[in-house]
Amino acid sequence: MSSTNTGEAIAPTQKTIIITRFDPDKDEVPRKQEYSVPCEDNWKVLDAVNFIKDELDATVSHRWSCRMAVCGSCGMMVNGEPKLTCKTSLKEYGDRVDIEPLANFPIVRDLVVELDGFMHKFEAVKPWIKRAKEKAEDKAALHDTKLTFSQSAEELGNFKQFSMCINCMLCYSACPVVANEPDFLGPAAIALGHRYNMDSRDEGNAERNEIFRGEGTVFSCSFANECSEVCPKNVDPAAAVNQAKFEAVIDWAKGLVLPSPSSGGSN
Amino acid sequence: MAGPAHPHSMAPPKPGRTRAAPPQMPASWWNTSRMRTYLLFDATGIIYLLVGFVAIRMIRALAEGAGAWQAAMQSLENPIYIGFHLLSLISVIFVAVRFFRLFPKAQPPSIGPLKPPPGPVIHAALYAVWIGVTVVMSLALAGVIF
Repeated sequence: MSSTNTGEAIAPTQKTIIITRFDPDKDEVPRKQEYSVPCEDNWKVLDAVNFIKDELDATVSHRWSCRMAVCGSCGMMVNGEPKLTCKTSLKEYGDRVDIEPLANFPIVRDLVVELDGFMHKFEAVKPWIKRAKEKAEDKAALHDTKLTFSQSAEELGNFKQFSMCINCMLCYSACPVVANEPDFLGPAAIALGHRYNMDSRDEGNAERNEIFRGEGTVFSCSFANECSEVCPKNVDPAAAVNQAKFEAVIDWAKGLVLPSPSSGGSN
Repeated sequence: MAGPAHPHSMAPPKPGRTRAAPPQMPASWWNTSRMRTYLLFDATGIIYLLVGFVAIRMIRALAEGAGAWQAAMQSLENPIYIGFHLLSLISVIFVAVRFFRLFPKAQPPSIGPLKPPPGPVIHAALYAVWIGVTVVMSLALAGVIF
């Protein structure tokens, strides 16, 4: 039982938590199941789901880990909105709280969604530092961070915001383009690709911009801005996607008048 | 849950070992205020399509001669046309305001040594240009200038 600042005990509030259930061995389609849960005043939505799992129905499946909005595991739809459940207060909602798996993702079981499609899109943008070729100073830099890989605060500031993504996938659930275009790379993957394009140590811009100019990438985005609205870490993927559009066009225009930059490298 | 998510949305390149339910969206997906605003923004495309038809009709009337042009101009005084043009004006203002709000975040952090000005300055510049162009066009159409 939680308490007030004066130490006065607050009785739990009974809420009806509606969980989407899907067992691939038994259910043809997802169904709803209601649970009556005595909710403490200071509970997050995840606490209620954990209570159901621990005390009422051990068969409920959901993902969670850190409980402090870092791991990005506990994203779910709460009353129709994509939310990081460990960061969302239960008292924001009324007596009935509808908890569903993330929208736009295939459902593996109950509140657990299929991640392979997301990982595939992630990999497609080559989210790692690409060097055109291994340079002598790269080796030296491994031992002295003031050499090649050093970065000014300003250079870091160009992409730091986009590197704060925790891969919670709420942006994919909110994006109307993801819902309608299966090939769309999506907000988080493009934001990550753009993050590396903005990194002063990286030399893979030409390769990623080539990907970004392809079908189902940055130009599929209609700038609904929903991804940024639901992002729990204020990454602002909509900004990344639309900056990436600009960079991809500039890169294309440069290619018309300048010799193509070497973007090779095997790393 | 129910609704219009594409059945292959976020599907893995190869099916997994376990059968998965197709992706879905909440039944009330359209009912959040943000999504309603976005749908309204998308719906303005219908108005611009209709504006296009009106423009084509006017161009045809112009090609047919002075009589046809006068008749077409007179038909625009119909309250239905006036209402439609009012709706078009509102939709243009709505789209412009939305575009201006989102525009600063779409700017690259720098172009060579140049950095974009702060968001409020970009906003102010966009609105100043918009108002300026509107005033000049209104004066030109009223025959005050040019």
